[in-house]
Formats: sequence, structure tokens, C-alpha cells
Amino acid sequence: MSAKNKTLRRQLSRREVLKGAAATAGMLAASGAIGGFPTIWAQNIKDVKLVQVGGSYSAIIDIARQASKDLGFQVEMQTGAHDALLNRFVTQPNSVDIADMEYFFLLHLVPRGVLHPIDLKKYKWWDKVVPIFTKGEYPDGRKVSTEGVLPFEVQYVDGPESTKFSKRPTQWANGIPTVYNADTLGIRPDIVKRPIEHWRELLNPEFKGKSAILDVPSIGIMDAAMAIESRGDIKYGDKGNMTKEEIDKTIKILIDAKKSGQFRAFWTTFDESVNLMASGEVVIQSMWSPAVTAVRSRGIPCYYAPLKEGYRAWASCIAPMRHLKGLKLDAAYEYLNWYQSGWQGGFIAKQGYYSSVPETAKKFMTADEWGYWYDGKPAKGDIKDPYGTLMEKAGQVRDGGSFWERMGKVACWNTLMDENRYMVRKWNEFVSA
Amino acid sequence: MTRLHHLLAAPLACLLLVFFGVPLVLVVTVSFFDFDQFDIIPTFVLTNYLELFGSSLTYSLYANTVKYAVIVWALTLVIGFTVSYFLVFHVRPFLLQLALFLVCTVPFWTSNVIRMISWIPFLGRNGIFNQSLIALGIVDQPLEFLLFSDFAVVIAYVHLFSLFMIVPIFNSMARIDPAVIEAAVDAGAGRFRVIREIVVPLSKTGIAMGSIFVVALVMGDFFVVKIMSGGQSASVVLAMSNEIAVLQYPPAAASAVVLLLVVTAMVVGILRIVDVRRELAG
Amino acid sequence: MHRPGSGRRPWTFYALAAFFGLYVLFLYGPMSAIFILSFQGPTGGLTFPMNGVSLHWFGALFGQQRTGDFAGSFTRSILLAVIVLSITVAASVMAGLAFRRRFLGSTLVFYMAIFSLIIPGLLLGLGVGLMFQFLGIKPAWYSSALGAQLTWTLPFGLLIMFAVFSRFNPFYEEAARDLGAGYGQTLWNVVLPILLPGIIAVALFGFTLSYDEFPRTLIPIGSRNTLPLEIWAMTTNVTSPALYALGTLTTAVSFVVIAVALTSIALIQRRRTRRGTRTDAGD
Repeated sequence: MSAKNKTLRRQLSRREVLKGAAATAGMLAASGAIGGFPTIWAQNIKDVKLVQVGGSYSAIIDIARQASKDLGFQVEMQTGAHDALLNRFVTQPNSVDIADMEYFFLLHLVPRGVLHPIDLKKYKWWDKVVPIFTKGEYPDGRKVSTEGVLPFEVQYVDGPESTKFSKRPTQWANGIPTVYNADTLGIRPDIVKRPIEHWRELLNPEFKGKSAILDVPSIGIMDAAMAIESRGDIKYGDKGNMTKEEIDKTIKILIDAKKSGQFRAFWTTFDESVNLMASGEVVIQSMWSPAVTAVRSRGIPCYYAPLKEGYRAWASCIAPMRHLKGLKLDAAYEYLNWYQSGWQGGFIAKQGYYSSVPETAKKFMTADEWGYWYDGKPAKGDIKDPYGTLMEKAGQVRDGGSFWERMGKVACWNTLMDENRYMVRKWNEFVSA
Repeated sequence: MTRLHHLLAAPLACLLLVFFGVPLVLVVTVSFFDFDQFDIIPTFVLTNYLELFGSSLTYSLYANTVKYAVIVWALTLVIGFTVSYFLVFHVRPFLLQLALFLVCTVPFWTSNVIRMISWIPFLGRNGIFNQSLIALGIVDQPLEFLLFSDFAVVIAYVHLFSLFMIVPIFNSMARIDPAVIEAAVDAGAGRFRVIREIVVPLSKTGIAMGSIFVVALVMGDFFVVKIMSGGQSASVVLAMSNEIAVLQYPPAAASAVVLLLVVTAMVVGILRIVDVRRELAG
Repeated sequence: MHRPGSGRRPWTFYALAAFFGLYVLFLYGPMSAIFILSFQGPTGGLTFPMNGVSLHWFGALFGQQRTGDFAGSFTRSILLAVIVLSITVAASVMAGLAFRRRFLGSTLVFYMAIFSLIIPGLLLGLGVGLMFQFLGIKPAWYSSALGAQLTWTLPFGLLIMFAVFSRFNPFYEEAARDLGAGYGQTLWNVVLPILLPGIIAVALFGFTLSYDEFPRTLIPIGSRNTLPLEIWAMTTNVTSPALYALGTLTTAVSFVVIAVALTSIALIQRRRTRRGTRTDAGD
């Protein structure tokens, strides 16, 4: 449905509501004659305000603006740093309406019962969501790596009041998958001057003082583990859930590397990673895909190396909080349905992230954009970001190729370990060593 | 009279009681709780403290943080004293004095985050400073220790915190009666003797305040050390923040209680030398 | 020691002036990069080299934002800073007056202030947030975050007032009271004017500390960010030189405000000296 049509219909519905013809409106909604939004016809819907709280790579203000426009109620975005978000969700759940977070947060949130399990009967895209999330499988039936926290493992609970994860699909989802990606190493080809094919290069003395990893303990240690395993020092049972012994060995190798001056820095924010690379402080480091693009858009060569061992993947989801009730809860369902109806998917694709319902996102992208971002085809024209800034010139091919080539090679997921307490302690030792 | 004094102190006391007292009680309580992967278990255990004191990590963290605090304190003290001294005793008229003082404060109204980030293009391998050194032929290789090092951390601390030393010292010095100094000079006292025997003693309240501020700021920081060391150096609160990030409140709370006691001891030490409250009566 | 009217300046003046100059250079030096980079062309990034020169990012500050909400968070930060400043000044001046005598519980309040100054901010913020959750009050920047910031600014205010009151000569007060002035009158006409520079210092601190506060505000912020939180959150996505434009603008506005303030003080002073030479002479 075109945007214009949508607006017309909304105006129509408003007028009807104002006339007091609530019954007519209710009938219209129930009949399902209207495929678009909004589908809630309460008179006071415009007073509803939903606050979504998440990282600035997904809680994007443009999305809130578009949603408010399409839905007839107010959506606000609040951005925050990862650790602050988790603390907010747990200790002040009432200050948030929609939690926007990485999947492994669910391990903390679901047992504490702060989320409202989503009734999938009220969510219309579930059968269109990429099966990585809904079944833990690829479309060809292969199982996705379960090292770390595979989203499927924390996707479902038994019932609406349950705080226990379900091992198989149920009607109750803990979150709706939103953006995700497969991360690997970013490289400065003009300085490195040879192909990089393995994670172990991160620890290669050739790049002494010029390599970097992420300074988030649970993710940094995974990058390190990928490198260490690739070098053959340790064979992990599950990199995403190390034993104490494995943590000890990993941290020891890291401390030795740090003392020998291997690392230039550990980065915390997107910007830091871009600046490290762009200024030449670092020539090889773990990075996010849009950060690589950001370096390149400054005219500095940089590529995202598809490595033999595969990618470290991450995924985000959104979930309504437990305190939502009545009209606000209805609005939340309405919002979840809107979220995956395509606009958001098209928007974030142009920043280099994937949508969990690519089918709808496709409608909001040009054929060339779809070809570049999802199909791994060379761009026919210049590729621009959602704001119209040039990202890639015509002829470029996305590093790592098509969607399934990238997501098909996930080696592990961002994680929360059982030995988390011990791991954080050891990580602190590493940082202060 | 006492009732009046109670009334006067009441707003401050009440605000602190609510917004600091309650959280403090929570922190102290939680420091004795146990926890597992998913939740905090309200019992009474000493494991958090035992683990804290039993780990060599704690001592190296304190050693590192105290090292920063001492270096930064010394540097900001020299800067604070010298700058204030210059402004108070050498700059006339008063308006120029005020203007120059405010020039020192303007950068502090730009967000700390931005100011800290601004050092990175300046000190980096290909940064302005290194490029100039190379251009001037002073070095052939960029100096790597300038960024992502203890040096960078200290520079950023001094940049961010020196105001907290300047303001109280400036305030104390500004109220020294010029007649006292003139009398001393007339009596034949040398420049340095005047400083030692008049200026320093009369501005010691300001010095003590500034010292408390700077020590508290450095001991409580996690942000500057994280960014400026490039994540390669740690402080007590940085380690604590890593625990908070994954909801491990009990050990973080225990660590906070210990930190509170350690820094209080440092403050009491400063107050031993200069009892600010006795100065009030004087 | 430079004595007013002694003509030639001593060598120490030049040495100290050089030191002061170096310090100012140190303060502004790295920020010069910010100032320059804020004039990046529309395609420019956060680091050198410059991709053209433009005012694009200053315009972007006021227009619709990409990833963050600068205008909103900036307004909130300024408002919050003004509220914090007012409460801090009022509460600290009152407490400062109180602390001139020991009273029952004065030691307790004093140490509470010291503790409040040094408690790790993250944990304090967490505690304040929890308290609001327990009480069922929605946290917001003007309630929970305000409270958390006050635990930071009040100790500063109190300690500065100590510095101000130290060696404050009670003679003036006594003299005023001997002349028949009431407590309030004495306070208003005698004590406060003497304290004014100190009060300005407390206000300055209150404002700056609040405007820049990060760890305490982070968790009990409620659902709308202050500027430092917004900036920090933004750095997890593609950030633009608008960040730097903000720094440049803040600095420029500060200078304008200072210039205006100083000029008006100068004018007032000149008028006063013209009008009141007689009273001054009797001083």
C-alpha cells in the first residue's frame, strides 16, 4: 500500500471515530480488510507513547518518526550504551516500554520476568522471519553454530507467564529479531599488502603494535578465542561458553601478547574503531561492518576479510516490557508488526545490517541496493546510505558476498558465559596487566 | 541558635540523605549478598570481600589508581597554585583578572567526552604533535607512547580536572588582604619567603579543597582511563564497571565499600593537615 | 611580588605569565582540532584530512538529526544544569552558614558529604534508579537524575563554601548587628555581598558538573537523555562532525556570554565609582 493511501485511510478512520462510529471502525479492523496501519481504532490512541530504548545502531530516531507517522501514536527512541541498557532493563523495567537489545541479554532478562512474552498469534510475520531465529537452522536444514548464544536457544518460553526458556518453538517469543550481522576482521590492504585469511593474523607479530580487539569482555574474549584457536594453541569445547581452564589459558596468551606490545588499543565505541583504522594506528582489528564502510567513505582503503574460520555473529531483538497493559500493550503489538513490515528493514540495510524479514525490506530498497547489500552483486550505480551520503562507488561488491554466504558461515555468537563472573575477573586482570 | 543552624543545614542534609543515604545503604547491604548467573541471592556472606582481599588484582588496581591520583594531584597542584598566584597577585585590574580566570574555565563547558576525544587526533601516531616533531626533525619515528598509554591518561586527567584545583585556590588567594603582603615586603621579606610564610598558609584551605576534589575525581574515574589508555590500563572503578556491566552487583558493591573507605582515609589525611572546619571558626 | 604602582614588572611576572600562557595553550591546543574539524565539508569525517570547508555541520545541529537528538538533549542538559545550579547554590550557602558553628550532627553531615563525593557514580546511579523503581515513581531527568547529580554537586558546593567562610571576618556581621540590623538584614546586606565571589564559584561548579555529569546520570536518567549520554550513545554509530560543531558553538557562546558579562560589570562599576566616590573613600 502506498504511503498516500495509508494516510488517507487513517484520516478516514479518524473521522469515523470522531463521529462516534466506533462499531463501524471495529468491524473494519476485525474484517481485516485493511492491510496497512493503523489497526487500532481507540479514540485515545494518539495519547499513547512508546519509548524504545536501545543502542544507537538500532534505536534510530528516523524509525521512530516514521512509525509515529504511520501508526498514529507516538514512538520515541532513547539510545544508550550497552551496559547501561542492561542495567536499566533489569533494575528499572518501568522506565522502558520496548527493550531493544542483543539476544544474549535475554539470558538475564527472561528469568527475571521483566519482559512480556510475545503472543505469536498476534504477530503476523513470524513465518517470514529468517529460520536462523525461528528454528536455529539455515533454509537448507543445516543447523546453525550453537557456540555462544544462538538466538534460537533463547527465542521461546513455555507460556505467557513462564520465565523458563523452551528448547523448541512455542507460541510465545521473548523478542522479535531486528538487526544482525556477521563480524570479522577489518584490514588496511594498503599497509598489510597481502591477503588475510585467518583469525590468527590478529596475533601475528608482523602486526605488532598495530592490531586491536573489542574492549567488551564477553565479546573481546571471543575474538581472541577465534584467533587462538586458529593458531592451534587451544581447541575449545565451546568458545561461547568456556571452562575456567580455557579462560585461564586464553587470558594468559592475551597477557603475553599484550606485554610483547601486540595491541595498539582496545576499542569500545564504533567511532574509536573507525578512527583507529582511519588514522593508521591499527591495520588489523575486529570491527563492525558499517565501521569498515565508514573508513572507506573517507577515501581510506579498508576491507572486511572473509576468514576461513568463519564469522562471529550478533543479533538484536525488540521486546515489550512486562509492565505494558491494555491500550499500550495493543500499541506495542501494533508497533512490532509495523517494525517488520519493511520500512525499518530497508533503512538499516542501507547502513549495512540485515533485517530478519528480508522479504519485506526488499520492497523498500531499489533493485540495485538489494543486489549489493543482500545478493553480493556488484553495485550498478553508487550506493548511498539512508541519508543520501555516498557509501560505495558503482562496481563495488560487498565484502564476504551475499547474505547467505556471510550468515551461512557463522562460527559463533556474541555470548554470556556460565563462568561469566570468573571471566570478567580474569579480563580485568588482563586489562591491568 | 542551634535550631537555626539545623534549619540552615537541613536542605543539604535531607537531599543527601535521600539521594545518597538510601543508595549507600543498598550498596552496603548488597555487598554481603551472594549471586549466581541469573540473580542476586539475599543472604549474608563475606565471599565478596574475601575474594576482593584475596586477589592480587585488587592490589595492582589500587596501586595503579593511586599512582594516577598522586601524579595528577601533584601536577594540578603546581598548575592551580601558579595560575592562581599569577592571576591574583600579578594581574590588574580586577576585570582583566576575572576575564583571564574565565578563559581558563571555558573549555570546561565543552562536554568531557568531546574534550577527551580531541586528544586522540592530537597525540596519535599520525597526529598533529607527532607530525610537527617529525617536520621539525626532532624525531624520525613517531613517538608511540604519547597515545594509549599512562602518559595519555595523565594528560587527559590534568586537562579535565585542573579547574577543580584552580577555583578553590583562586578563591582563597583572592581573599588574602594585600596589606599583609605589602607589610611583609616592606619589612624586607623576599618573594619566596612571602609565598612560603604568607601565601601558602593563607590559601591552604583552597589547596586542601582542590586536593580533595582532584583525588576524589581520579580515584572514582573509569572513563578517562578506559579511553585514553586504549583499554590497556585499569582503575578500581573501571574493574567495578566491568562487573556492573554484567549485573554482578555484590562484588561491585563490596569493591565500592572498600574504595569508599580508602578514599575517605585519603581525605581524612588531607584534613589532618588542614582542618577545613577549624579554619571556619578561626 | 608585584606591588601595584611600583612601575617596572619583576622577572617573576614574565615567568608566571609564560606559565599561564602555556597552560591556556594546553587547554585550548587539542580543542583547536575540534574547532577546525567542525568546519568539515558535508562529506567529511571526524579526523583529518578536511573534505572541503563548510558550515554544514552547524546547520545539522539545528536540523533533524540522524542518529541522535542534539537539540533536545542540549536543552535538557542546560535546563537541568540551571536547576542543579540553583539548588546547589541555595543549599550550600545555607549549609555553609550553618557550619560556622558546630551543631549536633554537623560531623555526620560533613562526612556524608565527603562520602557522597567519592562514592563511585555508577553504583550511586544504580541505587537511585532502584529506589525510584521501588517507590513506583517513573525516573526522569528532572527527578531521579536531578537527585543523582545533586549528590555530586552539593559536596562541591559545601566544600567551596568552607573555603569561602574560612577567615570570613565575623566582625562585619557583629558590627551590622550592633548597628541594629536584624539577622535577615545582616545576611542580605552584609554577608551575601562579601560571599558573592564564592557563590559565583559554587554556581560555576554546579553548572559545569551537572552539564558534564556522566556516571551518576547514566542509569537513573529516565527515558530522555542529557547531552553527554546522547553523545556517548551516538559514538556507537556513525557519528558526524556535528559533534565537533557543538563543541565549537559551546565555546563561542561561552566567550560571548563572558564578554557581555564583563562589559556590563565594567559599565556598572564605572557608574558606581562616579556616583559613590565619597563612600569608597571612607573605606
